[in-house]
Amino acid sequence: MRDASYVLAGYAITGTALGLYRLQLARRTRRAHRLVAALTGRTDARSRPRR
Amino acid sequence: MRLVNRALARMGTRGAQRALGWATVVSLLATAMLGLVVVPPDANQGDVQRLMYVHVPAAWLAFASFGVVFVASIAYLRTGQTRWDRVAVSSAEIGVQFCALTIVLGSLWGRPVWGAWWTWDPRLTTTAVLLLIYVGYLSLRQVADSPARRAHWAAVVGVVGFIDVPIVHMSVVWWRSLHQEATVLRPGAPTMAGSMLATLLFSTVAFSVAYAYLMAVRTRVGRVEDRVAGTLMASPTPRARAPRRSGSLDGIPDEVTSSPLGPPAYSPGGGGNA
Repeated sequence: MRDASYVLAGYAITGTALGLYRLQLARRTRRAHRLVAALTGRTDARSRPRR
Repeated sequence: MRLVNRALARMGTRGAQRALGWATVVSLLATAMLGLVVVPPDANQGDVQRLMYVHVPAAWLAFASFGVVFVASIAYLRTGQTRWDRVAVSSAEIGVQFCALTIVLGSLWGRPVWGAWWTWDPRLTTTAVLLLIYVGYLSLRQVADSPARRAHWAAVVGVVGFIDVPIVHMSVVWWRSLHQEATVLRPGAPTMAGSMLATLLFSTVAFSVAYAYLMAVRTRVGRVEDRVAGTLMASPTPRARAPRRSGSLDGIPDEVTSSPLGPPAYSPGGGGNA
């Protein structure tokens, strides 16, 4: 039974770590898009600049 | 190189990323199901051996991530193209996650089996060194003062740091170790029951899908962040826009020669405390 708690903790930590990293990447993406929008003045920061 | 470029371009599309994301969720859930419920427990270690299905793939994916850093760093040093630097840093970041996971999961496995959370065993120590090398790689990128220099220094560390990967793998052979020897990546047939081996290989595929997904997202973030940095560098700073004052001396910043608080203490005849 105690062994099972180590195993469950291991699987939970794996899922949480990968999920948190994905969330951090989402936050970074949003922040970068906001910065691009602020710097270029475009409302849709996801669109590429026209040449 | 062209193939890798094409693969990276395809992975970068939104549709491909969404598909990879769902594939990651489904395959990781299937891994948990197989590892926790379907596969029988080990005859000697019991249920705690089920940690193998996440510990070993995490370690292999850490090695693979650092392998990608190695290859991308060589490609950057040869071509000087920023995209290789972006691939290298993305893979290093994900590799650090997997390497840290490997250590934590190994610690959780070691406690009930060895009776200790941590021991200075050759395999554990070389893995900790590997983690430190790539944490150092990421830290180095924060201190370099120009993007080109940052990419160059990081690429050199990315190439040299990879030396530790084969050392980690061979540590159980070269030195006396508490850690078990390789059971799959070894000469000859794997020394493992068929159902366990199949689950391990499946979980490795699931972790590889997760790696591909995180790489796709991370390189996309890197592209946007590079765009921000590029825009910031292209826009003139307030200092550059300000008109030059006629009284400024060549090579000496204006705030030193004309401070509102009077002359600085170190200027000649500037009224020091002496």
